[in-house]
Amino acid sequence: MIISVASGKGGTGKTSVAVGLARSLGFCQFLDFDVEAPNASFFLKPDIKNEEKVSIKQPYFLKDTGADFSRCAEFCHYNAVAYVKGEVVFFPELCHGCGGCILVGPPGAVREKDVLVGKVLKGKAEPGIDFLVGDLIPGSLRTISVQARLESYINRSEKVILDCPPGTSCSMVTAVKNSDFCILVTEPTPFGLNDLEISVEVLKDLDIPHAVIINRDGIGDSAVQEFCNSNNIKILERIPNDIKIARAYSRGFSIPEVYPEWKERFLAIIDNIEKDVI
Amino acid sequence: MKLVISSTGKDMDDSIDPRFGRCSYYIAYDTEKDTFEAVENKSRNATGGAGIQASQAAADLGADAVITTNIGPNAFRVLETAGIKVYSGVTGTVRQAVEGFKNGSLGTTEKPNVGEKFGMGGSN
Repeated sequence: MIISVASGKGGTGKTSVAVGLARSLGFCQFLDFDVEAPNASFFLKPDIKNEEKVSIKQPYFLKDTGADFSRCAEFCHYNAVAYVKGEVVFFPELCHGCGGCILVGPPGAVREKDVLVGKVLKGKAEPGIDFLVGDLIPGSLRTISVQARLESYINRSEKVILDCPPGTSCSMVTAVKNSDFCILVTEPTPFGLNDLEISVEVLKDLDIPHAVIINRDGIGDSAVQEFCNSNNIKILERIPNDIKIARAYSRGFSIPEVYPEWKERFLAIIDNIEKDVI
Repeated sequence: MKLVISSTGKDMDDSIDPRFGRCSYYIAYDTEKDTFEAVENKSRNATGGAGIQASQAAADLGADAVITTNIGPNAFRVLETAGIKVYSGVTGTVRQAVEGFKNGSLGTTEKPNVGEKFGMGGSN
């Protein structure tokens, strides 16, 4: 059973919920898929045992050969290569590493090298959480390459919690597409609702069952509630707008650590989901 | 000399398209023969690298100089490599730009005048 925790709007409490679920389960696999800004380790405090580099292939052009690279420039769909007056101009930030320029270019004059884009860290968190996180190097745009490596470690025989990146772009889709169920965390405000609506559209398209947790319940208005009612979306839980939770969060503690009764509530969420999916 | 001008249309009286990489047409103007040719910009809707592609197109058209309003860093790097002069900040019609070039009232630019992805923000 793989449960992803996502949200359209950032800062609604994805990590709080994902960490709360993992802590309550005690024994599970936890993957931080928010590789551009991973932060679950602040709360789960894993002992990292293994670090794996993630590289991508990038072409380089042997300019000394005097070869004609015009076909590379013509071929590149991402416009990462220009060839003007016998000079090749390469834009690595636009390159997707497809290797096409090697295939169509002058034989032997376009080579490939490995470029580091990030890493995957693996470890254990108390009491029995298998913890994995992807970490993209600053400035790199290759989010999906790091996520793809992370994806290869998903252990389908365990209960798996995926902490997803915010938004509804490629990186969110890459994270949620692996899951059997997606929890959308939102706050009851117009911003929260707007981004929830977009997330629901994406999950419907991907055919992934989903339900909502309202965080900071008590602020804002009732529009999220009304949206869920009229679209038949279950509200799994409501986490109150509570200063003790906020204070604990700012110090790296999860909800069940300040309110032990929340352990049962998080476990009930998982039971609830399992009944829905199976 | 061959000038390549970013244009909103196929005609000399069309106005300059302010976005170099995402212009509708390039007008390639031959200052010796006083003839011109309009070439559609096929990469105007590219998700990225439109400026690079436009510079490639200008070089392929044999441009000695490019006239436009806004030029970004990637396009500029390609044009610089190709040894193509850049006249940026130019507005008005294509015809006015050619006249401005001939009477020497346009100034060349040594650096890009807008950032990356600038042309993505505008409407068509």
